Amino acid sequence: MSALLKAEQLTKAFGSTQAVADISFDIAPGRCTALLGPNGAGKTTTIRMLAGLLQPTGGKLSYAGLKPGQSPNSLLGYLPQSPSFYGWMTGREYAVYAGRLCGLSAAEAKSQADSLLERVGLSAAAKRPISGYSGGMKQRLGLAQALVHRPRLLILDEPVSALDPLGRHEVLMLLRELKQETTVLFSTHVLHDAEQLCDDVIIIRNGEMALQGSLEEIRNNHRMSVITLHTEGDIRSMQWCMAYQSGAYVKELRRIEKGMELVVTDMELARGELLRQLAKDEIRVTKLEFGHSTLEELFMKVVSE
Amino acid sequence: MSQWTIIWRKELLELARSYKLLWLPLVFLLLGVSQPIMTYFLPDILANAGNLPEGTVIEMPKPQGGEVLAQTLQQYGMIGSLIVALGFMGAVSGERSSGAASMILVKPVSRAAYLLAKWTAMLALVWGSLAVGYLGAWYYTSLLIGEVDAIRAIQALLVFALWLSVIGTLTIAASVWLRSGAAAAFSALGLALLLSLTASFLPRALAWSPGQLPGLASGFLLESMPEAAGMIIAAGAVLTAAVLYAAVWRMRRMELP
Amino acid sequence: MNESTMELSKLLPIIAPFFVIQLILVIVALVALAKTGRTRGPKWLWVLLIVFVNIIGPVLFFVIGRRND
Repeated sequence: MSALLKAEQLTKAFGSTQAVADISFDIAPGRCTALLGPNGAGKTTTIRMLAGLLQPTGGKLSYAGLKPGQSPNSLLGYLPQSPSFYGWMTGREYAVYAGRLCGLSAAEAKSQADSLLERVGLSAAAKRPISGYSGGMKQRLGLAQALVHRPRLLILDEPVSALDPLGRHEVLMLLRELKQETTVLFSTHVLHDAEQLCDDVIIIRNGEMALQGSLEEIRNNHRMSVITLHTEGDIRSMQWCMAYQSGAYVKELRRIEKGMELVVTDMELARGELLRQLAKDEIRVTKLEFGHSTLEELFMKVVSE
Repeated sequence: MSQWTIIWRKELLELARSYKLLWLPLVFLLLGVSQPIMTYFLPDILANAGNLPEGTVIEMPKPQGGEVLAQTLQQYGMIGSLIVALGFMGAVSGERSSGAASMILVKPVSRAAYLLAKWTAMLALVWGSLAVGYLGAWYYTSLLIGEVDAIRAIQALLVFALWLSVIGTLTIAASVWLRSGAAAAFSALGLALLLSLTASFLPRALAWSPGQLPGLASGFLLESMPEAAGMIIAAGAVLTAAVLYAAVWRMRRMELP
Repeated sequence: MNESTMELSKLLPIIAPFFVIQLILVIVALVALAKTGRTRGPKWLWVLLIVFVNIIGPVLFFVIGRRND
């Protein structure tokens, strides 16, 4: 499947500050992609370049299936982090206006606006001025106006980070539905949101590409076996932990309160060895876990490197 | 319907909802009407001011209708331009800094259409307000002071409308360039002042300057027209077009929050 | 004194429209003030300005009085 959007060596410098450097990625049609990274990593800058609000200082963006002379913006629906509307307009007026600007006829724009407002749960507030809307309502109106021309790619900048837990839940539920219908790219600094919704992730750090791929792939390739040992914390057990000699199969050893954590390369070997030693020295084990590293740990590691 | 028309209608709706569509014409009308009324009552006001010995006769040359209309235009040149600049100083910068412009301009909307719709909406309101106020002034002048030649009055109105268009265009262009509305109003008014000051200090060297437009408008009414009338009008139109072109050029390259 | 008062009463129809327009401007400004959400400075101050400062009061309110959301 060819990419819907291809970014090649995308770069943006503000003066001498390099906000985004040499980022390349593909957005495949029908996929949901998260642009992940800590605050200040260059997510918003990247998204603003994709939306055409900023001119890249280097690199290239290409959209598939663009007719000659057609603006790439006709394929895009965009929702910024904190959308700003015309406060004097009503929600419905804005949605209709957005539709008309995207080339819908008056009748089409009205019916699209009504069905989308219904869908995002704003029917009751549709005839009220936007200046009285709450943050969550604005975000939902933002979704409705971004979808009004049935865009092929929906770009969202931190769609839930400014919302309270309820608003957050509402918008995430909507996104879960929307990703069935269109290609979605959204930025977030919360891994959990990405994990819940996405097929692909792009992790950036300090404006540079840190890691990208499908969530499955990343999970499998970077999964590490981890053994966690908790003891009662008695002196003998703690001394045993301190004196523990790691074998060649242990990649990393971390002391934790009342125990230790081992990142191992060969789980079978490590398991047998550790169990034998624990039994032999009669260590007071309270909890012993043989598992895998979480994505969260990987994310933290990639981002803090 | 073209995109320009859609944005233009939104601009008019905004002018209506923000009450600009009401207060601008009302203020122009008040300014226009007050000039002939003041002129008419001036002798009475002076007579009632007291401190004058009984039987004093105040000799005041009775002004011509054209003079009063020219004074009205002078009022519009000062207070009217101030109002135009203040009324439109945030046309682009306000939407840009709030982020509302980003939401609109990521849609397949031409930035030129966006700006031109704002510009034409501004022109429509400024011309409308000026016409309403000027007609009020004209009516009162012919009622209280004396008749004014209709052709001359209309010529003066059209020339003055061009001058206010120059100021409005400068304001909108400044609001594309600058982030703050106050700075936009200040620079537009500053440039307009510079134009008219240089034009009045160097009437020969700058005989064709658009800064001569207010003088030309009054000239029609006072029957003392400068010679370069055609040149001045052409220069005003060219300046407006050039400033507008520069604003569109900047708009196309503008980075949005 | 008597004469000029008489004259003024004859001329009332001339100046009446002027005051009517001013009144309309004040009313429009007050309606806008009532409907607007937030103002720069206290609302009661704007009421005083609009009602008691001819023309300039309402204009000031329209230009800088309202905060746009």
